[in-house]
Amino acid sequence: MTSIANDAAAGWFSPQNRKETIAGLLFIAPALIGFAVFVAGPMAATVVLSLMKYDLFSNPSFVGLANFEAMLDDRRLWKVLGNTAFFAVFAVAGNVGLGVVLAVLLNRNMSKTVQYAYRAAYFFPSLVGLIFVAVIWQFLFQRDIGVINYYLGLVGIEPVRWLSSARNALWSVIILDIWKNVGFAMLIATAGLQSISKDYYDAARVDGSSSLRTFWQITLPLLSPTILFLLTMNTIGAFKVFESIVVLTNGGPGDASRSLVMYIYEQGFKSFNMGYASAISLLLLTITVIVTAIQFALSKRWAFYE
Amino acid sequence: MISRLRTALIYVVLGLGALVMVAPFLWMFTTSFRPVAEAFTLPPRWLPGLDSSLESYRRLLASDVPIGRFFWNSTVLATTVTLGYVATTTIAGYAFARLRFPFKNALFALLLVSLMVPIQTTLVPLFLLMRWLGLVDSQWSIIVPGLTGAFAPGMSGVFGIFLMRQFFLTLPKELFEAARVDNAGHFRTFWSIAVPLAGPQIAALSVIIFTMTWNDYFMPLIFLNSVDQMVLPVGIMSIRDPVGNSSATSEVIAAVSLSILPVLLVFLVAQRWIIDSFVRAGVKG
Repeated sequence: MTSIANDAAAGWFSPQNRKETIAGLLFIAPALIGFAVFVAGPMAATVVLSLMKYDLFSNPSFVGLANFEAMLDDRRLWKVLGNTAFFAVFAVAGNVGLGVVLAVLLNRNMSKTVQYAYRAAYFFPSLVGLIFVAVIWQFLFQRDIGVINYYLGLVGIEPVRWLSSARNALWSVIILDIWKNVGFAMLIATAGLQSISKDYYDAARVDGSSSLRTFWQITLPLLSPTILFLLTMNTIGAFKVFESIVVLTNGGPGDASRSLVMYIYEQGFKSFNMGYASAISLLLLTITVIVTAIQFALSKRWAFYE
Repeated sequence: MISRLRTALIYVVLGLGALVMVAPFLWMFTTSFRPVAEAFTLPPRWLPGLDSSLESYRRLLASDVPIGRFFWNSTVLATTVTLGYVATTTIAGYAFARLRFPFKNALFALLLVSLMVPIQTTLVPLFLLMRWLGLVDSQWSIIVPGLTGAFAPGMSGVFGIFLMRQFFLTLPKELFEAARVDNAGHFRTFWSIAVPLAGPQIAALSVIIFTMTWNDYFMPLIFLNSVDQMVLPVGIMSIRDPVGNSSATSEVIAAVSLSILPVLLVFLVAQRWIIDSFVRAGVKG
């Protein structure tokens, strides 16, 4: 064995280890260089740029924390941050809640063909580009020629201004998001369900537990790591919401449905406030890091692991 | 009796939900085949009728919108990014799972950090970097990060490395020790033993990366500006008219149908396999 095993004590570049060390470093080199150039470097540059005033055409000048002070007084920023948080709460709750319910309802003894057909129908929208489906939904949401209002009209509901009213615009984006992403949450939850041992359910049946009680007392606790994972992924994703709003409402009316990333894009690539856009990017990064840290802390305490 | 009734009810509710999921696609394909003049008349149609026509598609092809060009650009971009990303992350995943080299765990942890850095937060420097490299308005601005395995559109590079590493960790040690006794080089061991065994996993990763690149709007929006370079999502947004002009909107519907068609066909052919591999990736992720 020892003649085969790599002996670290002999040194990474000793004759018997050298080949493996070099191969290992070479194999990860492209990914590592790519990470340094396209992820780590730009990350550091974002921090530096956030301290600058830079419009792409004249030389950047150092402004200290001025960009961050400007953020505090920027009412539009707080508006778009509020919109994004509102969207995140309801989109995440809808996606994860419905996704788990669908997974549980479909994870029963039924004809395999029907089961796959249902899963396929629910999952397919997550494979299709958001821009493509948002364009379709924009037609469906139209006030006068839209299909949704047509059917609502048949049951006597007045035409709804899905996209042009400040009150409804974000809800329409949330509806589209849940329609598109619920199938993905369903599949991940299905994977979680299939890793739960059958023994628990057998025991519950012997005890005569009702199926609703089994769901609350067995399925949900045992699924909690998966649910936590889904909540984290969906929250991070929701804070990046962009395409669907660009298509459906373009942020309007006014700023009623504008999101954080739309605002970053606007500041950086339309107003050319590269420094200010970088400072807001750091806010987005901070949110992402906090969400991840919360998941990390909770997964140690709250989530129930077998 | 009651439990049977309840089962039936669940089936019906799930069926109605499934209908809602499919309906927008049915509406889109049906509308794309309706005569342009009445494409958006109500009540809506859900299946193509006898009056089906290819008018929308003919108008789209005849217009000055280079839809063929968009389609070709999308295909080239998604293919190149997928090939590069999958190759780089597979070999790196193999090294992290199977080889010993200094700082292995520290480097892997460092790469995991990139999961927390969405591209939206490094947008401005990335743009400046691409401009400096002279890659703005060239497919290379999206291909190069993909080739290095830094990220594919919408997907951090470490996702692929992690997925492949987890897979290679499940292979029995003996496989590789036999190769070592034969004194096969490390690359040969990787290429002739590890890669063939990882076939299904590599295929699953490829499908994920290809679809994400095909669908992505954000990176092409920032980096590709001229009409010649546009991919389908950006191209469609550029021809989209405010709703109301029904002839142009028919062309948009036709263009969206064409963009979704490849994904739909692949899904119909391989749906069981795709669903199963997503479930498996979910278990490991």
